[in-house]
Amino acid sequence: MVISAPADTPRRRAPSSGVVGIFLSRPMRVVGLIILVLYLFMAILGPVVFPPSVALVANPAKIYQGPTWADPLGTDFQGVSVLAEIVLGARGVLMVGVGAAFLIVIIGVGMGLMAGFTGGFVDAVLMRITDVFIAIPQFPLLLLVATILNASSPWLIILMLSLTSWGGLARAVRSLTLSLRERDFVEAARGLRLGTRLITTRVILPNMLSYVAMNFMVSITGAIYAEVGLLFLGITPFTPDNWGVMLHEADGVSGALYTSSSILYVLSPMIAILLLQAGIIFVLGALDEVFNPRLRTGATR
Amino acid sequence: MNTLRRFGVALIMIWMVVTLTFFMIRLMPGNPIFDAYQTLLQQGVPSQQALVQIHILYDVYPNQSVVVQYLLYMWHLLHGNFGTSVVYTGRPVLPIILAAAPWTLLLVSIGLTISFFIGLLLGVLIALHRNTWFDNLMSQLASIFHGIPNYITGFVFLYFFTVILNWFPFGNIYNPAIHPGFSYGFVASVAYHSVLPIAAYVFGAFGTWTLSTKSAAMAVLGDDFTMADRIRGLTSEQQLEHLVHNSVLPLFTGFVLSLGIMFGGAVFIEETFSIPGLGYLVATSTAQRDYPVMQGVFLVLAGAVIVANFLADTLYSRIDPRIRV
Repeated sequence: MVISAPADTPRRRAPSSGVVGIFLSRPMRVVGLIILVLYLFMAILGPVVFPPSVALVANPAKIYQGPTWADPLGTDFQGVSVLAEIVLGARGVLMVGVGAAFLIVIIGVGMGLMAGFTGGFVDAVLMRITDVFIAIPQFPLLLLVATILNASSPWLIILMLSLTSWGGLARAVRSLTLSLRERDFVEAARGLRLGTRLITTRVILPNMLSYVAMNFMVSITGAIYAEVGLLFLGITPFTPDNWGVMLHEADGVSGALYTSSSILYVLSPMIAILLLQAGIIFVLGALDEVFNPRLRTGATR
Repeated sequence: MNTLRRFGVALIMIWMVVTLTFFMIRLMPGNPIFDAYQTLLQQGVPSQQALVQIHILYDVYPNQSVVVQYLLYMWHLLHGNFGTSVVYTGRPVLPIILAAAPWTLLLVSIGLTISFFIGLLLGVLIALHRNTWFDNLMSQLASIFHGIPNYITGFVFLYFFTVILNWFPFGNIYNPAIHPGFSYGFVASVAYHSVLPIAAYVFGAFGTWTLSTKSAAMAVLGDDFTMADRIRGLTSEQQLEHLVHNSVLPLFTGFVLSLGIMFGGAVFIEETFSIPGLGYLVATSTAQRDYPVMQGVFLVLAGAVIVANFLADTLYSRIDPRIRV
């Protein structure tokens, strides 16, 4: 076994140029992109292809049917097409995931920038608050808040998810701000007497945009995990078509766990979630390279 | 001195968590206690009697001011009194929590340890064989596993290994027919029932450890002392030992921090496998709206994580002399 420093490693492939090249350099990234586009279509066009008033009607004559041309993924314990449920579920899951990630980024970046740039007392207070939010186990807190709010509106769920998980980003943005604050170009901006707001938003923020963008994607996966998890536990009130509700029913009322003929119904929502998470992770790797030109040589990943 | 300061901060954080949960439950719209009081009044119960009933149920008087309620609550808490359960009327919360905690601690600690060592092994291997097919495959796999929600892993295991293959028992942590105690049969039963949940923890966490070990090991490989080791002509084994030791250190804080994440994940895994631990208690008390129990479990979980963080910070400066300032 030879232990060598990373710098010694030869480049495996020629540096690819441009965003397209970065995506094409690894086939999994293209797959990830295709998956995300597919989900986007499901979210936008789902209700057009499967009108909920028709597609989600229970049909006792077709309980737990195997795959047919009409229902390629079979039917569930109520005789509803599993494919229709999956496609219709995409909109809610994506909306909450993206919405929560958006709010997390806004709160996290806002707190971090303010604390890091202002310093002193404001910094101390904001960071202690952040510490508490980091220290509290996020999911139990979410359960507590979800029960108290009994939230059924997606907006409330978005608010709840983001309020419980901005801590890590805020702390990271603060330390990035602290290091950027001392750099020459920020000094120059101060010398020009640009106001605090201008310096933070126009001078410091653009320099951490790549980090924030990556965090946005990671936050989406986290929010989807938590949202579907809450529905799976049956904590948040049910929305008729969501993968978490499917999982909850597969685990509970449907009795799907006692028969192996329900296998497609049990696996479909899981695979839907897995593919979405995997798609985001694959694209994340590509975005990392787009934003960090140093990674593009292929020497390290 | 530094330790003392950290201890103070930990205490303040626990106090903040206590206060936060107290006011969250009391001041949110749709206050359950006030609602219950109103319902009793509407049912024609005289207000004095309704107050007494609410006091028996929730251990508070709804007409007391919030500040008085808060001070009383803190006073009780300082004496180890977490209140009484609403659903199991009259049962104090603390024994309920203490009965559930060992199962969670057992499963989480074993799952965390196994996943940590698997991640350490894979991460170092990946760093040593970077940019080979092994690196490519394992890094992708690790990031995919990192993204799989643990309730899905648990559910898949439950479905395949108990429903379809019938290899493992369905739910609970031991066979209820066996009397609990330190007998061979009981321990074997617990071990048998623990296999799937522990596997679910491991599958949920080893990807994260692999990725962080990999990046830590890559950083160490770029350090000067690695090159010095090579120039001094140390054997591969000695070099590997230095590499592993120095890659583990930065993971230590993450190890403790992940306790919080694992406790959060326990909600799902214990719910899926019906294990009577803290996570299951959180889920059931939440579903039954048993506020005192919810609040108590939540405090215990948050407190455990804060204490673990305090210990990690204190120990870390002893383990790694470089960060001592």
